[in-house]
Amino acid sequence: MFLTRSEYDRGVNTFSPEGRLFQVEYAIEAIKLGSTTIGISTKEGVVLAVEKRVQSPLLEASSIEKIMEIDRHLGCAMSGLIADARTMIDHARVTSQNHAFTYDERIKVESVTQAVCDLALRFGESVHDEDAMMSRPFGVALLIAGVDEKGPQLFHTDPSGTFVRYEAKAVGSGSEAAQSELQDKWHKQMTLKEAHILTLRVLKQVMEEKLDQHNVQLAQVTPDKGFEILDEVRLKALIDDM
Amino acid sequence: MSIMQHNGGSVIAMVGKDCVAIASDLRLGVQSLSISSNFEKIFPVTERLYVGFPGLATDVTTLREVFRYRVNMYTIKEERAIEPTIFTQLVSSTLYERRFGPYFIEPVIAGLQKTPSGSYEPFIAATDLIGCINFAKDFVVAGTASEKLFGVAEGLWEPGLEPEDLFETISQTLMNAVDRDAFSGWGAIVHVITKDKVITRKLKGRMD
Amino acid sequence: MPDGSFSHPQQRQFNPYTENGGTILAIAGKDFSVIAGDTRQSEGYSIQTRYAPKVFRLTDRAVLAVNGFAADGNMFVKKVQQRLEWYRHAHAKDMPLGAIARLIQTMLYGRRFFPYYVYNILGGIEEDGTGAVYSFDPVGSYEREACRAAGAAQSLVQPFLDNQIYFKNQQAPAGQSHPLHLPLSDVLAIVIDSFTSATERHIEVGDGLEIYVVLTKGRPTQDLEGYRGVKELTTRPDGDRVFLIQRELKKD
Repeated sequence: MFLTRSEYDRGVNTFSPEGRLFQVEYAIEAIKLGSTTIGISTKEGVVLAVEKRVQSPLLEASSIEKIMEIDRHLGCAMSGLIADARTMIDHARVTSQNHAFTYDERIKVESVTQAVCDLALRFGESVHDEDAMMSRPFGVALLIAGVDEKGPQLFHTDPSGTFVRYEAKAVGSGSEAAQSELQDKWHKQMTLKEAHILTLRVLKQVMEEKLDQHNVQLAQVTPDKGFEILDEVRLKALIDDM
Repeated sequence: MSIMQHNGGSVIAMVGKDCVAIASDLRLGVQSLSISSNFEKIFPVTERLYVGFPGLATDVTTLREVFRYRVNMYTIKEERAIEPTIFTQLVSSTLYERRFGPYFIEPVIAGLQKTPSGSYEPFIAATDLIGCINFAKDFVVAGTASEKLFGVAEGLWEPGLEPEDLFETISQTLMNAVDRDAFSGWGAIVHVITKDKVITRKLKGRMD
Repeated sequence: MPDGSFSHPQQRQFNPYTENGGTILAIAGKDFSVIAGDTRQSEGYSIQTRYAPKVFRLTDRAVLAVNGFAADGNMFVKKVQQRLEWYRHAHAKDMPLGAIARLIQTMLYGRRFFPYYVYNILGGIEEDGTGAVYSFDPVGSYEREACRAAGAAQSLVQPFLDNQIYFKNQQAPAGQSHPLHLPLSDVLAIVIDSFTSATERHIEVGDGLEIYVVLTKGRPTQDLEGYRGVKELTTRPDGDRVFLIQRELKKD
């Protein structure tokens, strides 16, 4: 693919003769360099897990934040250019709050995902009279987890603005191995606890470092308690149970 | 705000089977400030005739005295009790005397009228502040809660009510109407007039 | 001045609002909601039309009644319907009743300084299947209630409803309490009585009566079948259902 490089991979809004947008494809490639991120949906709730790459012993592991809250009933894990995700999550949060303000109800997981994806293709040259747009596609993939009237759900978004619903999904550098493992192990009757353990096991398999409570982050969204990031105590207990 | 609303208060009268009822609230206020919860606006004229004066409180007192005087004069001269229809004409002409400087009162009259055969038939009437008479067959209302009284009375009243049923109907009508009126309320008084007796009851109501 | 001079001061004014009379009313039951309005539209002492609906089906579980300035009312209903359509496209479902209520608040408050001159009453079925009534002022202050009347004859009807729906000033029999919700047949009787009373005593009320009945999903309909001229307006099977009863009112 990279051997057939041409002038079409420069303009962010120019199709190649084969009908491809190279910059978007490159952005999707960039995610494959990101840290592994996993999401699993069960009847009891959705689990999100990320690997934190602690590159130096001097690095404060707790300052790496790859799972964020969108709303009480919505969470998000990311892989790729984390800085780009901030713009998207900001948009998701505003969308969710606006929805609650206008309609006095929680926004659906799919709706907030759609809102985020509407942002994804707003790159390129700005048209006359329009606000300046982004210069390049987002370089991040999101796993958006949430609970609404349709129950717990997990969505995956990529830089092309495409979103798909998954029962279990892995993104990032270890995603290929992780995804096939999820395909093997995921089942309909899975409990939340089993999902926790499965995410950790899969992460452990694909991580280079030895997995411990400092280099992974785990979160869940449940109908009762909504979004919560598990603290190191609960994380350690789960790791010990593995 | 209109002088008719200055002190607040409402009166209603209803026809029943061989009986009539007249009722009012007990509030006296000055605009939104409540002063008294025992300000009666209904007065007996004869044993079977009552009149209510909703409107400006000072005129309530004045008219009560004016009509006491004029009814007494009538009784002495005629040597008989005044009948409701005659009293209504008296009210009308008395008020019209002040056509261009009226009393701010809309009287409500309820009583039993003697027929040539010696029996009694129910009579109610109301006038505006210059004495235009409204002879009604069902009910009459006046005062700051008049619109509300009309609405409830139109829904609750039915022909041929016995004294106790008439009492319940007029009480419910008055209480629910004045509860939606800021200028009326603070308790109520009801008189049910039958040929043998007048039943007078005070009602407790919301004090807000 | 006739001579075209401007030596005398002149004043002109344009009033963008009028009052078009009429009355609306809604009562919530346990598993139903009734929303009604008369159909007379007037300006001053003139009747403009004897049939101008003030009550509108929004969805299979929401009905909106608007009263006040008819032009504003009609435009407001259109805007609400447009927002409901957009919501359907964005979220692939009908907007729930509580969400419509909040939406109406934001739409009304959005015009805080040039308000829609209308009183709104929204009735229908809540997400949990209960009957509900929401009432609004022209700038969006709102409240969920069991019953509400609005419009020209509000002061005639509301105290009657206080008495008949909330049992105000009535003592329950010893050891018993007043029912929280009345059966549908009682509610319909009260609605019809309210409008015939208002027609009798208020010149701006009369001509026709439209009563919308919203029933929660799966509720039996036999207590509606006794009424003549009941029309079903439901669009989708297996959900909440909307019915319309049309009656004549006195035309004098």
